[in-house]
Amino acid sequence: MRIPWALLTLFIVINYGLLMTALVQKIGARVGRRHGIPIWQNYIDMIKNYALRTSITHGVMFYLGPVFRLSGGVGLLLFVPSIYGSEMFANFSFAGDLILALYFVFFGTLGMALGAAESGHPYSAIGITRGLSQMTAAELPFALAVFAVALQYQTLSVTEIVAAQQGGVLHWTLFTNPLAVAAAMMSFLGSMMRPPFDVVLAPQEIPIGPPTEYHSSFLAMMQTNRALFPVAKIVVYMNLFFGGAGSWPEFFLKVFLIYMVSAFVGVVFPRFRVEQSIRWFLIWAVPLGILAVVLV
Amino acid sequence: MVSPLYIIAVGLGAAFLLGLLPEKWQRAAYGVTLLALALMGWIAGSWLWAFALQGAAPVEIFTAGTQPPFAINFRVGLAEASLALLMALTGLHAALYMRDTLFKQGRRAMAVLLIFVMATCGVIFTRDLFNLFVFMELVVISTGGLVLLSADRRALGAGLKYLIVSQLVSILMLVGMVFAYHATGTLNIDGMAAAQADLFKGGALAFFLMLMAVLAELKPFPANGWGLDIYESAHPAFAALFSAATGAATVYAADKLLLIGGAQWLPLASAIGIVTFVVANIFALVQDNDRRLLGYSSIAQVGLILTVIGQRDLLGEQYYFVAGGILLAHAVAKAGLFWLSGLVAARGLGDWAALRGHPVLVFAFVTFIALLVGLPPFPGFYAKWELAHALAANGQLWLLGLILFGALLEAAYLFRWFGYVLKREQPQAGLLLQAIKEDVALSAVVVAWLLAYLWGELSGQGNLLHAIPLLFALLFLPLDWLPAKLKNGLAIAGLVGWFYLHYPSYDALQLIFAAVMLPGGAIILLASFQTQQRRVGFYPAAMLMFAGLAMLIEAKTSFAFFAAWELLTVGSYFLILRGKHSEPHALSYIVFSLGGAFLMLAGFALAAQGVPDFKIAALAQVAEPFAPWVFALLAIGFMTKTAAVGVHIWLPGAHAEAETDVSPLVSGILLKAGLFGLFVLLMTMGKQQLYGVELTHVMLWIGAISALIGNLLAIFQEDAKRLLAYSSIGQMGYALFGLAMMNHLGWLMALMFVINHYIYKSMLFLSVGGVAKRTGTRDMYRMGGLITLMPLSFIATLIGIIAVSGVPPLSGFGGRWIFYNAIMTAEYRLPMVIIFLAGPIAFLYLFRLIHTIFLGQLKDELRTVKEAPFWIVLPQMIFVVALLVFALIPGMALRHVDAYLAPFFGGQNGLDWAGLTITSEFGYWSPVSIMLIIGVIFATLFAWLLFVNRRAQPVKQFNIVFAGERPFRPETTHFAWNFFAPYRKALGFLTQPLVTIFWETLTELLHSAADILRRMYTGNGQTYAIHLLAFVIIVYLLWMGGL
Repeated sequence: MRIPWALLTLFIVINYGLLMTALVQKIGARVGRRHGIPIWQNYIDMIKNYALRTSITHGVMFYLGPVFRLSGGVGLLLFVPSIYGSEMFANFSFAGDLILALYFVFFGTLGMALGAAESGHPYSAIGITRGLSQMTAAELPFALAVFAVALQYQTLSVTEIVAAQQGGVLHWTLFTNPLAVAAAMMSFLGSMMRPPFDVVLAPQEIPIGPPTEYHSSFLAMMQTNRALFPVAKIVVYMNLFFGGAGSWPEFFLKVFLIYMVSAFVGVVFPRFRVEQSIRWFLIWAVPLGILAVVLV
Repeated sequence: MVSPLYIIAVGLGAAFLLGLLPEKWQRAAYGVTLLALALMGWIAGSWLWAFALQGAAPVEIFTAGTQPPFAINFRVGLAEASLALLMALTGLHAALYMRDTLFKQGRRAMAVLLIFVMATCGVIFTRDLFNLFVFMELVVISTGGLVLLSADRRALGAGLKYLIVSQLVSILMLVGMVFAYHATGTLNIDGMAAAQADLFKGGALAFFLMLMAVLAELKPFPANGWGLDIYESAHPAFAALFSAATGAATVYAADKLLLIGGAQWLPLASAIGIVTFVVANIFALVQDNDRRLLGYSSIAQVGLILTVIGQRDLLGEQYYFVAGGILLAHAVAKAGLFWLSGLVAARGLGDWAALRGHPVLVFAFVTFIALLVGLPPFPGFYAKWELAHALAANGQLWLLGLILFGALLEAAYLFRWFGYVLKREQPQAGLLLQAIKEDVALSAVVVAWLLAYLWGELSGQGNLLHAIPLLFALLFLPLDWLPAKLKNGLAIAGLVGWFYLHYPSYDALQLIFAAVMLPGGAIILLASFQTQQRRVGFYPAAMLMFAGLAMLIEAKTSFAFFAAWELLTVGSYFLILRGKHSEPHALSYIVFSLGGAFLMLAGFALAAQGVPDFKIAALAQVAEPFAPWVFALLAIGFMTKTAAVGVHIWLPGAHAEAETDVSPLVSGILLKAGLFGLFVLLMTMGKQQLYGVELTHVMLWIGAISALIGNLLAIFQEDAKRLLAYSSIGQMGYALFGLAMMNHLGWLMALMFVINHYIYKSMLFLSVGGVAKRTGTRDMYRMGGLITLMPLSFIATLIGIIAVSGVPPLSGFGGRWIFYNAIMTAEYRLPMVIIFLAGPIAFLYLFRLIHTIFLGQLKDELRTVKEAPFWIVLPQMIFVVALLVFALIPGMALRHVDAYLAPFFGGQNGLDWAGLTITSEFGYWSPVSIMLIIGVIFATLFAWLLFVNRRAQPVKQFNIVFAGERPFRPETTHFAWNFFAPYRKALGFLTQPLVTIFWETLTELLHSAADILRRMYTGNGQTYAIHLLAFVIIVYLLWMGGL
């Protein structure tokens, strides 16, 4: 019985993701005094790419890369309850707790990296080294924040963490443990592939980085994930730090606002090199995380 | 029974008889010599038999028919008889060995040899001071003569210097004796001991002079240059005599003399002994002449025995067992080594590589080294155990520390030498083989093993040579001529069989470790079916390691535990040394391991406080103030094995340079021995505080830093096996961290790591080893694109890295999940910062491993590479299945351990294993559901992609475009070398090799000090005389000044 509901969640989130990312891109364009893309542009891209008849493959792992990637996104979404208090939208969260979600994030990343690497394109490999390097530092404050939150609520269950934040805005982790949230949000910036942390994709030097060789339906699959994955990740943040969502409208609003944090920062700051971003995380974000862990 | 006096009479008589023989009767003269020596040996042997087995009382022999002090008396007891037997046998062997030389030099030389042996026996038997002096003079004179038998021209000078020094010694002795006689009115040793009070009323100086004279013959530091020159230049057979016989006889003389001095003079003997032991071993570090090195080692060993003599009161009943064990081990080993040196043509240590073509000689060499170092099952091992316990129980901790330090130095240069033998270039015509000389040397091997058995029987600890695993390992020595495949089958059968027979008696913890070590080892050994021919030396070494592991798991007493530990250390050392370029790494491994083992010895000794048969479980009862020290010593010992940061520098080289099937053995299995030790330690001793510092808290930090440093260094390696080796440091850091958390789930996590690390690291080492075998390199950047050529190796690596990284759904995730649950109740939070940083870094090296080898661009020269050999792939596939099974049902292995651990934490914080979901106090996890959900999602999406993309066209290599061109050279296209350059910019400063620099500086300091100080041995006889005088004066000032 859970499966149809899970599929419904998936359907809602993909569509929401497609529209929201287009919207954010449009906002970004307007900041740059451009008109920007139409709001349905993502649909057009996807449909076009899925329908393309010409495609080549560099081998088995290359072929499987996008599958890994999208499985990662879908899995992450479905391992975490989307709507608090709703049995229908609790998805497959019975399979594991917060730790499962945290580690499953890497499933798609790793699989896609392997696929991209088989293309033999140096840009792919360079992009991956950048991405992995940056991730090691960006993940640290988030891990600390999660630890702090888990200690604070004495549980690793996402549902219980959300439950503990009910009863008013001031019960959100954002207000009960601001240091952890600050650390986590800095980490969030690093994982969103937006400036100043977008050296992984670096359109000018290593055209779009790891996925550079992907095209047609491979790319379409990754685009699907690109709409889905950030939302899935933000759901984790939302649940941990911002009181979760009791209904779909609340869900849409919160996800959008959290996403906008990275968009705001992205349009303001230029790009960091890898070692610069590592230093930035270690110097600014990690101490906050440590304080959060120690003080909780 | 023939009176022991005939030993003297036969020697003397035969020597006279030789003088009467016509010059031409060489053969007859030689026959007489051999006969006389054999007869002396027989008499000594028959008395030894009588004393040891028939309980005969010591024999007193009086000359001139009256009682002392009016006549001279001899006493022969157990000690005297065994020493006399040693003298006669080494003499006999020397005669056999020197046959050509003796024939050339004629009957005079033979007579001198007989006099020498007779005189050493006299030194041992006599109870009269003046008589002692006479025999010692005889020894000196005959030594002077025998030194000249050497073909080396320097022998003449050495003999002369010896005589100069001996005259000084004689003067001291005589002057002392005159005054002593004056004070006590007797020359009888026992009489003088009885009149001790009179002697020391005004004659302390007299005794001092006599003692100095005898001690000077023992070549104490620094008055020992003359001895070294003799060792270096004399005929090896005489050097053997000089080391084994003179040394032993003089030590016994010193022992007798100290009877007169009584307890108050014993510390002096210990002090001189220990200084000599340590300094001689330091000096030996820089020697490259084999015989001079053996000379230093002889001096050191005699120093050690003197130290033991000084502790005679402490040792009580164990005195003869300890001193005798060390003395006989030294004598046999040193004689054997000198005899071997006669077979080696050139004098450099590296020239001994000539032995390599002769496995039997290599075995002899190993036996002698093990005998000298005191490894199990040889007498020195039992002796050192008892000595350490006696010293620790009586608070002589400084002395114990110095002894262990000296022993470690000795082990270092001896094993370095062994490394040369196996690894250095084999010189052409490097051996001067002669059947009789070989036989003589090999007879020492037989004696060594007999002594090993004897000391095992005499020790109260149970004979190691009765331990079935050890015997099974030794069985492979005589079977070494069989083809490797047959031996491999036998080894696997042995491992599985032993496990099958014993698993019912294991508790849950033992079962996990035993399963990893024994059947686990058998799976890895499947890969060894790959090797062709005989593979000489592999199986004895491997099985020795496994024997140690099997015995370790079952050990109930600290002795059994320690013996097993040493066995597995030595076995694994031999294994590691087999790698093509592993000489320095194997050395570093054995030095660190033995260092760790000695700390454990000290720890156990301190814990036992003299209790014989100390049970491991009794560690729990060790009280303050010892408990924290015991804990620290044992913990450092175990952490040396798990390569915790600070003592980790041996691991990368050792694991990377080992052979393809050895790397998984030493990484996947051997490291777990350290974790087992830590488990045992923490389960018995729990938390300990030293100066207010919680020691487990320190371990927590060490674990975290090891995890970080291991992972960080791994990402910068170009060599695939080194990468895996560094990764092991990181993984062991995690396990250590889990243990040090001192909570239920932390320990469970450590156990999860035991299983996981065994499976995936063995698998990865095998697959990387297979790739290296096919490509002929371990440098990852020389590979690339091998996925299509070696698909099975790729699958193993893929599964391996997913498991290591901890990404669901494979078993690595289980470890992470338990880890997060464990830290929820951890007392300390700060170390988590380091661990959290270390975690994602693992992704970097894992990705690099698989990308650089299997993905990217295939190199032209590797286009014809085939999949790894079947026998290397087979265990990998077994591991893949095992990983999947363990990922699905971790409870199968872990729930029992979980229950087993519960009582240690009051039944708190365990996991609930009901149904398919594993539940903790904080969270839950359902492996089967996870696998299922991910599988379904993946399969659905894959099907969807196949549907929309069914016409995808496979393209050839280089079907890409970048930087405006289509590449054509894999070397410039495969992004692989210096893969994480930006990371080096950011965090490279953390990879400064501080620890390596520290240990290198320490080693360098010791070597430089030795190199500078050894220059005081100028080779000038006058200098040596001054050394002797200086020695006497300094000791006088330090000792008599304070008396």
